Amino acid sequence: MPTLTLTFKDNTIATYRIEEGQSLTIGRKEINDVPIENLAVSGHHAKIDSVGEGFLLTDLQSKNGSFVNKELVSSHWLKDGDNILIGKHTLIFTYDEGEKKPDEVAVDMDQTMVMDTDKYRDMLAQAMPKAAKAEAQEPVGILSYLAGGEGEIKLVKKLTKIGKSSTCDIVVGGLMVGATAATISKRPQGYSISYVGGMAKPKVNGATVKESVTLKDFDVIEIGSIKMQFVSEKQ
Amino acid sequence: MVAIESAGITDVGQKRTGNEDAFYLDDDLKLYMVADGMGGHLAGEVASALVVDTIRDYMKHFKEEGAVEELEDPDETLSKEANRLLSSINLANKGVHQVAQSNEDYQGMGSTVSATFFTGDTMIVANVGDSPIYLVHDGGIELLSVTHNVISEQMAINPEMAKKLDARFKHMLTRGMGIEATVEADVCEIQCFEGDILTISSDGLSDKVSPEEILDVVKAEQPAKACQRLVDLANERGGDDNITVIVIKIKAENEKGGIMEMISRITSHLKKIFH
Repeated sequence: MPTLTLTFKDNTIATYRIEEGQSLTIGRKEINDVPIENLAVSGHHAKIDSVGEGFLLTDLQSKNGSFVNKELVSSHWLKDGDNILIGKHTLIFTYDEGEKKPDEVAVDMDQTMVMDTDKYRDMLAQAMPKAAKAEAQEPVGILSYLAGGEGEIKLVKKLTKIGKSSTCDIVVGGLMVGATAATISKRPQGYSISYVGGMAKPKVNGATVKESVTLKDFDVIEIGSIKMQFVSEKQ
Repeated sequence: MVAIESAGITDVGQKRTGNEDAFYLDDDLKLYMVADGMGGHLAGEVASALVVDTIRDYMKHFKEEGAVEELEDPDETLSKEANRLLSSINLANKGVHQVAQSNEDYQGMGSTVSATFFTGDTMIVANVGDSPIYLVHDGGIELLSVTHNVISEQMAINPEMAKKLDARFKHMLTRGMGIEATVEADVCEIQCFEGDILTISSDGLSDKVSPEEILDVVKAEQPAKACQRLVDLANERGGDDNITVIVIKIKAENEKGGIMEMISRITSHLKKIFH
């Protein structure tokens, strides 16, 4: 018969026993088996059910979530020594010495769920203190003119058009250049340049682009009269 | 305009009793999408169907009306068409969110959406959630969608730390349709070429079948057969979730450009000169 020890700041407040076939509710309201009087705890916060040989903790969609060993859980098979954080209180789940413990049961997470954004940040802050603060930074591609123009162009658009037409983002002169000669697209994996139309096909490092190629740092792009170098920079 | 041959199927799989996936394909409208719903009872099905129907109606409206209504607050980094697709996704998100808020049975429901819209000779790919869109081009396969789950998001920030996260984070989405009042889809616009193949699927497929296997199947088979083969593969390996897949093949590209374009350009030049 496992024991739940309710603690607050290293002080033991109460102990509860949970038996096979029994359920136990945790929450701020008096009606719960394990009442925790604290505003960080939801009225009905979580419950523990005896399921088969093991005990399953289920968060009852509480406002601040339930954490087991510092990880946010929606449902979790309890293991000996698990620390369950409810608000600011900790419940320690322990089996009696010599008691038969169930094999570790894999948590069923086949069900897709969407994380509450706040919960997600909280959980990450717990699980990975450094990572939560760093937002993923997408590198931005920059084209610097080597010939046919001056300065540099930031590739902020998802699709940057290069060609003779005035509707293009980068206008290139020359009779052989197509109205839209080429496009540079920003994909999840990086930037790529594609040939679209016209007699003058774009070249990357001197090789003609027939369809599309991925751009690497320091690649040199030539279309008609212009020559540019590509680099991607973290902003 | 590109010519397209496509097929799509959805299958309940081996473990589930209901199918929460929805999909839509239309070779005239050139719009293709998969939505993977979530939420208890019938809520997941309601969410995914609502997403697909809303986006379809919005995009159809644009095609039929012809005129382009000015969008509020367009994203300047995107084309007009991409903005249109984004608006349809925003609208669908709002719809699901409102239904979820107003009806207790549907509380907490949501969906993913992965859509592709072809315009002229480009394709616009947009997604929310974890339903993958793959592009097969030049013998390789590339993920065009951005996977909005905890693992992928953390991988982008810190791969070392992300490896420590266990499998349960894989099915934890960081974005979903209908979860919040607004949603941000990831979009990319790329040139498409003859011979390109696109697949849009639910994770019921991608959890069971690797990108390389998808590549082999879609290269070898016509779209309808490829879809069936992929669904069979996922089912043979357990079929734990609903399985939906759309396969799109680009047949021939518009022969614009080249010599004809140059001739028309020369004539317009001459007109200017003699005007």
